[in-house]
Amino acid sequence: MLDASPPRKKLVEVKNLKMYFPIHTGLLRRHTGDVKAVDDISFDIYEGETLGLVGESGCGKSTAGRALIRLYELTSGSVTIDGVDIATLSAEQLRLKRPTMQMVFQDPQASLNPRMTVSAIIGEPLDEHTTLTKAEKLARIYELMDAVGLNRNFANRYPHAFSGGQRQRIGIARALALNPKFIVCDEPIAALDVSIQAQVVNLLEDLQEKFGLTYLFISHDLSMVRHIADRVAVMYLGQIMELSARDALYADPLHPYAKALLSAVPEPDPAKAARARIILQGDVPSPANPPKGCNFCTRCPQVIPVCREVQPALTEVAPGRFVACHLVQPTALTAGPTGGTEAKEHNQQGATR
Amino acid sequence: MTDTLPAAAVEAAFKPPRSQWRDVWDQFRTHKGAMVGAVVLALLIFFVLFGAFIWRIDPAFIEPDAVKMIRSRNQPPSWAHPLGTDQLGRDMLARMIAGGRVSLAVGLTAMLIAILLGTTVGVLAGYFRRLDGPLMRMTDLFLALPLLPLLLVMVLLFRDKLAGVFGPELGTFLLIVFAIGVTSWMQSARIVRGEVLALKEREFVLAARSIGTPSRRMILRHILPNVMSPIMVAATLGIASAIITESALSFLGLGFPPDFPTWGRLLFDGVDYLQQYPERVIWPGLAISLTVLSVNYIGDGLRDALDPRIRGR
Repeated sequence: MLDASPPRKKLVEVKNLKMYFPIHTGLLRRHTGDVKAVDDISFDIYEGETLGLVGESGCGKSTAGRALIRLYELTSGSVTIDGVDIATLSAEQLRLKRPTMQMVFQDPQASLNPRMTVSAIIGEPLDEHTTLTKAEKLARIYELMDAVGLNRNFANRYPHAFSGGQRQRIGIARALALNPKFIVCDEPIAALDVSIQAQVVNLLEDLQEKFGLTYLFISHDLSMVRHIADRVAVMYLGQIMELSARDALYADPLHPYAKALLSAVPEPDPAKAARARIILQGDVPSPANPPKGCNFCTRCPQVIPVCREVQPALTEVAPGRFVACHLVQPTALTAGPTGGTEAKEHNQQGATR
Repeated sequence: MTDTLPAAAVEAAFKPPRSQWRDVWDQFRTHKGAMVGAVVLALLIFFVLFGAFIWRIDPAFIEPDAVKMIRSRNQPPSWAHPLGTDQLGRDMLARMIAGGRVSLAVGLTAMLIAILLGTTVGVLAGYFRRLDGPLMRMTDLFLALPLLPLLLVMVLLFRDKLAGVFGPELGTFLLIVFAIGVTSWMQSARIVRGEVLALKEREFVLAARSIGTPSRRMILRHILPNVMSPIMVAATLGIASAIITESALSFLGLGFPPDFPTWGRLLFDGVDYLQQYPERVIWPGLAISLTVLSVNYIGDGLRDALDPRIRGR
């Protein structure tokens, strides 16, 4: 599970991805600033794994996911998927590359055209990228409907006639239609109720096993990410704060923000519920005007002067654990992924600057 | 979820997709107003198209004999003239038939031109950000133009040239239809643009982008079907205003020649005699109203029938 294990193929390589949305003000609509939705993030996704991307609302998770398959034009940086840098492809080349990367959307109601039947929705990718005959296409549509657990008789119905979970299955079938390698799941379960969430997540896991898919699973549901992801990236205000293997992160978050975020996960067992919650003060700064230094310095409980001056880089502090914090320095003491929390804390305090 | 049946059961209960247009027709038929509207419009069209073959009086016929002519003026309804005669002794029924043909043709064609222009401009402006500014400023420009003087100038400039090429009647018809069309597309362009701007941000458009659907198919497959409703409303209202505008033009002497009957023309001619012979206003007025009303109901029914959320309810 840890990426320190023998070299696995990187399917997606993101380098210095920036996604700024320009702000125009005044009578002349002059360019006066940028909303830095995603500000310089880099990570890799290995073939066959699920990378969870978590963070609070407005931290740039969805923007990052959309930028990754170039639904937005990137401000700068590169995204290499399956050996091709999609950030620089021309429109037509990108179109031909689309089948490799697909997306499952957050709101299953909004992501399906209300005026198209299920078969038309699932068949749209086939229309665009294949030259199947009508009968072959229909066969493929039925195959996909079977794969996601939809009754074939529903092919003729419209999205409004389905429940949320079924709609999400239609969305997943559409994403699967072209045999993609990489799927961005943009909060696919956020709009569903809990019982359906489990069904959809299990479906996603089954499909991953069956078709060898690679997921970027965006969510703010930390428990669900713990269930499905192999590695987890924690985002705050457009930047990745910590990127670690799932078990290591949940057992021992290193970044102060990751600690605070994970302390907010409700504990179903009342016997263990006494765990101390870290409550952050203040609000998230505007991404149009992020603070100098570390993006988290305005709310960090362990803030030190250097945080307000220098922006920490995402560095590998332990095998497979990347943290962007001045307090967490690369240490040689990490024999195991979760070695001596207390000792590490002391070390960090000493090693500041 | 109960929709995961064994393959055999699925196979057994399986029905192939059927044509969407059958669903649309089935829903349209359940809309009473739309069916009545369709029947009324069909009757009106039948009346103007084939009425002249049944009621064979020349609508422009005036008694050449002066005494007879004076006697035949302003007749009340009779078996010889079911709708009476006008101030020159011409048969009103024949004039209604001949006038309706022109009015309906002008209304429908002008509306088609206006909707086509308006939808094209609206969709392009809404979908392509770069075209938005220029196209909408052009729309504003057209909206700011005083329409009637513009129409007058157009008619004065082009009537004779067109009449020379296509003959006086077809020439005038083309000119009027074109003039009304290019001066009434702005409202629908604005409505459509607004709808497209909203639709463009919906996730299903994003989903289509992630599939790699090119812009033209995106517009045809995702945008246009979803802006159908406002277009339909604009279209049905457009017919009415086109008929009225045509009559205003004719009234000003710039449309069809004065002896050439249209419903709008008959209406204006009748206004002078409103107190003595109100029926002369009522008949063309009724015909225009019926056309507009039936088209409105048809549009209403079509809109419902094309919307899968309402369909089958």
